[in-house]
Amino acid sequence: MCLRNLFRRKARTTLCIAGIALAVMSMVAITVTITSYTTAIREMNTFFTGDILVVSKSQIVIQALPISGGNLIETIENDVKGTPGIKATVPLLFLFSMELRSTIEMIPINITVGIPPGNWTVLTGSTPLRTGGSWLSKNASDEILVGSCLADLTGIAVNSTIKIGNHTLTVRGILDTRSAILGRMIIMPLRTAQEIYHYPMTVSMIVAKPEEGVNVEEVADRIENELNNPIERIKALTSEERNSITDPLLDEVNMWNLGISSVLFVTSVTIVTLVAIINVSERRRDFAALDALGASFTSKVLIVLTEIGFIGLLGSLIGIFLGAIAAVTIVSIYTNIPIQMLFPDIFTIVSPLLLTKTVACMVTASCVAGLIPAIAATRTSISDILRAEY
Amino acid sequence: MIVKTIELTRTYRRGLSYIVAVNKVNIEVEETTFISIVGPSGSGKTTLLNLIGLNDHPTSGKILFMGKDVSRLADKERRKIRLQNIGFIFQTFNLLPTLTALENVELPMALANVPHRAQRKRALKLLGIVGLTNRLQHLPRELSMGETQRVAIARALANDPEIIIADEPTGELDSKTAQEIISLLFDINRKEKTAVIVATHDEKIVKLADTVYTIQDGKLRLEG
Repeated sequence: MCLRNLFRRKARTTLCIAGIALAVMSMVAITVTITSYTTAIREMNTFFTGDILVVSKSQIVIQALPISGGNLIETIENDVKGTPGIKATVPLLFLFSMELRSTIEMIPINITVGIPPGNWTVLTGSTPLRTGGSWLSKNASDEILVGSCLADLTGIAVNSTIKIGNHTLTVRGILDTRSAILGRMIIMPLRTAQEIYHYPMTVSMIVAKPEEGVNVEEVADRIENELNNPIERIKALTSEERNSITDPLLDEVNMWNLGISSVLFVTSVTIVTLVAIINVSERRRDFAALDALGASFTSKVLIVLTEIGFIGLLGSLIGIFLGAIAAVTIVSIYTNIPIQMLFPDIFTIVSPLLLTKTVACMVTASCVAGLIPAIAATRTSISDILRAEY
Repeated sequence: MIVKTIELTRTYRRGLSYIVAVNKVNIEVEETTFISIVGPSGSGKTTLLNLIGLNDHPTSGKILFMGKDVSRLADKERRKIRLQNIGFIFQTFNLLPTLTALENVELPMALANVPHRAQRKRALKLLGIVGLTNRLQHLPRELSMGETQRVAIARALANDPEIIIADEPTGELDSKTAQEIISLLFDINRKEKTAVIVATHDEKIVKLADTVYTIQDGKLRLEG
């Protein structure tokens, strides 16, 4: 009976569902977009978890990426390696390619990284290569690895060649990754990068791997104390220190996310409550007639709750579907990753847990919001209503 | 005896004053009897029917329904009696606008948890009795007033009640349709052996009724 009431009042039902769907869509899209960004930022630090990053004092480091500022003389690597408690070091040269566009881009167009041959895993971890590709040899000079996103955007395939300056570089492998950072990397031997981009004997940072069991904080302090001098001023950042730079920002972003989501959630619940109140007040006579026929308290409450629950369920399902599409589209626009690359990962971007929680919250909130009008419906005085309204 | 009231009284508070809508009414409704209650507007007809139909609580006095005092029963019990033993017909029909004629007749049976197949069978039979087999899937707004009242009559009969209470059932109808509805109510009274109590201004009903009461200022009087 209640569902028939919804189906036979199509315009109102559709508008109510659309209202809830829009609110849920905004909620999901905003939450997912912000979560994607914070995840992308946090993801940067997963490259060198537990390692100490030695950079120039003037270098700005966002998590694990040295964004701008001074570089280091390559020879300092030996000093870092010689510091007690350090097991191994890897020098890296980072070069970012940014373009000013109409949209703010979270991730640069590409990130070129120069790294000594054989040390690829420091950067790529266990990331596999796409079929047909191979890792660069130890003697490689004019060979590169390219991230999947960059390859797909520019049509680069294994064994393609690209020209940078006077250098013709051959693509030996394509990193098969969904990581926003790795997907945009061009990885090449350190010497090649230094030569192409005219940074002789220069590196952006040195990744220092501490020995097992040592106090990383103490080792970092030791590096800073022993290697700092008036000519070369450096800083040694542990994972915690890198996190502490961005964590307050990310926390604030998450707080805003929570605030906006809460407002949208309250909006949705208000819509549902309004729908329930309108539904009941407009049908006082129907409820009085039901009462006169002998409908029980439970029957009348169930009628209202089923209607509202159905509107809440359908609205939130449609909202989630639209929200997921909106989120993927927004992430695609702001990270410049083609949308077709993101869709296979839709449930990574929009987590099933978030979807389930949103639907559960909306249906529960709908039912709670509908409960008050439902109880009001059961308290109608039959004789007053059936008499007074005609 | 289906219904018996003893000194039944209902007063309303209006501002600082009290209005006695029903004043110490004693009425007896036997099985298969057809009673009409006549009186001007505001005389207390609807209030009395609401009390007898357990839609309202008396201020004082008693209502015995099939020998049991129901005047102080809890709402849950009163609802049960309304559902199983009483059929209502309102002047303004009060069909649910989003349900078809068939669904409106099935509704009281659904509320009484009658199996769906049995609901359908009985609803079809009742709509056949009131002559509406060709209007089963029509919504109330697609029916004429006479047809709507017929659906309301079929709905009132759905759970095979002991008594039908009709509050001015012909009040909204033209004279020809009113005549049809009156005939229908009398047919039901005779064939289904259901007691009928009707509040009306309609002279035709008054003439045909087994017992006629008049009500004035809440006081009920048996007509000779």
